[in-house]
Amino acid sequence: MRPVTPRGFRDVLFEEAAERRTVTAAVSAVFAGYGFRFVETPAVEEYRTLEAAGASLEGTAFRMVDLDGSLLALRPEMTLPIARLAASRLIGEPAPHRLCYAADVYREQASLRGEARQFTQVGVELLGVNGPASDAEVVCVLVDVLAAVGLRDFTVGIGTVAVLRALIAAAGAGETWSAELLAAAHARNLVEFDRLASLASVEPAVGEALRRVVRIGGGREAIGECRRVADAVGCADSLDALEAAWGLLEAAGLADRVRVDFGILRSFDYYTGLIVEAYAPGLGLPLGGGGRYDDVLAAFGAPMPAAGFALSLERVLIALAAQDVAIPARGLDAVVGGEDVEVARTAAALRGAGWTVRMTGARDDAGLIAEAAAAGATWRVLAGEAVARSHDGRTLALDPVPAPALEGGAR
Amino acid sequence: MSAERLRMAIPKGALFEGSLRVLRAAGIEIGALADPGRLLIVDTDEIRFIIGKPTDIPSYVAYGAADVAIAGADVLAEAALDVAELADLRFGACRFVVAEREDAGASIADSYRRLGVIRVATKYPRITEAYYADHGVQVEIVKLHGNIELAPLIGLADQVVDITATGTTLRDNHLRIVDEVLSSSARFVANPVAVRIDSQRVMDMAGRLARAAGEVEQS
Repeated sequence: MRPVTPRGFRDVLFEEAAERRTVTAAVSAVFAGYGFRFVETPAVEEYRTLEAAGASLEGTAFRMVDLDGSLLALRPEMTLPIARLAASRLIGEPAPHRLCYAADVYREQASLRGEARQFTQVGVELLGVNGPASDAEVVCVLVDVLAAVGLRDFTVGIGTVAVLRALIAAAGAGETWSAELLAAAHARNLVEFDRLASLASVEPAVGEALRRVVRIGGGREAIGECRRVADAVGCADSLDALEAAWGLLEAAGLADRVRVDFGILRSFDYYTGLIVEAYAPGLGLPLGGGGRYDDVLAAFGAPMPAAGFALSLERVLIALAAQDVAIPARGLDAVVGGEDVEVARTAAALRGAGWTVRMTGARDDAGLIAEAAAAGATWRVLAGEAVARSHDGRTLALDPVPAPALEGGAR
Repeated sequence: MSAERLRMAIPKGALFEGSLRVLRAAGIEIGALADPGRLLIVDTDEIRFIIGKPTDIPSYVAYGAADVAIAGADVLAEAALDVAELADLRFGACRFVVAEREDAGASIADSYRRLGVIRVATKYPRITEAYYADHGVQVEIVKLHGNIELAPLIGLADQVVDITATGTTLRDNHLRIVDEVLSSSARFVANPVAVRIDSQRVMDMAGRLARAAGEVEQS
């Protein structure tokens, strides 16, 4: 047989693997710059752990039963495992916690939709603190990360679920209606949303406010416009946190990369305040997103406010490729050939000086030229000779071995 | 992004003429779209029109190959993909109905009692499954690609779930409508990212088309 990877899973080969590591390193540096610390969680969680937090797992989580009969799930995202970690391992530690991760997550997908079932998320969770400063910090990290990986063109949209929740409460149209309206919002179905907001059972002024709010977007003026609409039905307070966070983004000099958008309605059920999404033009899916989820840790018996975001590493790489952003990769500095003992000795000396070196079985210069071309190496070294030669006729003295030339080190 | 043409997918077939009518009423230049012949892509100054099979339109939009589209609510419900539904364009009205042979009532009830399952033929398995689940009825669904009304006549299925505008085809084949599943009309939809980062153009277009749809309906 010829083996294949299961549908929706794939191998990652050389160039892509190198780019993934480079991008992850750039992201990690930004995380560290804000004082976030890396954690790792198991790939598998108890199914009931994920369920307890109110995640909608139906049709999305890979499930399995172990020998003890416990129902387990491969983690479909990282927010809940991190919350679980905080609620179990960080009890008694002084908050806030700034945690970050780069991890593979797994989601069930129907056949033939062209969707991966395993992908990599990079993200942060800021636990144990709420308020505009922490909201703004999460947004700042996101903006800095997207800039740091080299994306030239991206948009970060922020909104809040607080407005929608306040208006729904003010509408006084019952629980079933509220659930239906939220479902329409999550499904991004404005036709159904408008129909529900216009029903006779809904306070007419609130219905009008609902229809208008989800269509408001822009800069600071959009917050003002939304405030006027919400104020007319006594819901202006619901904007305070977002407006304060916006002020902090302006102070950090990042407001020009962020857009306020009250139409962002993420389809996770657990957000309680800020919601944030990142987009790249031409990519039909968000790069990632997140928000504030103050009630999740209470479900794990460790109530504390929390906010964070996750980016899809794969989508970031697609966007970088679409914008023709070159991702620097460390190439091969030299190939070494000749007599075995000499090859071992020479290669070790070069590596000791910081070179990347591949040892070959070539015995003469002609063989080495072929090896260098095949490997894309800048230099070839016939062991025992104290000189490196390039394909374009340059030579480099190796006694003593110099630091690898920049032109050879970075491809 | 905004310098480029807005990419709009248009369904060929039953909704095509109605789409043109609404686009014209909205004052949108449609160029060669009026008579595309075998063209599948038609460019105007403002818009790149992409002509597609109706059931493929949700995929074009969900994956961002088109920014916006006109698509039937029925097709959107069946595809269950992530697209933003922005306006009801009111044309192309049809109903999803459950139908069975005019003479079948008692025998279906009898076989359901004894076999515990009824067999349903449809082009829309997802909508059909949701409908029967809501009613607590156990079904076996047979997916067909056309001439659904044939299935009860040749003994392939007890009931069918299909779309109908007037009910004529069903009546001609001696089927009667026993329930309505949902009603459908043409919708203006957008890629969820396009609606966020190109929202001015996309929401303006939604507003123009919705107003035009109202005028077309009045006239």
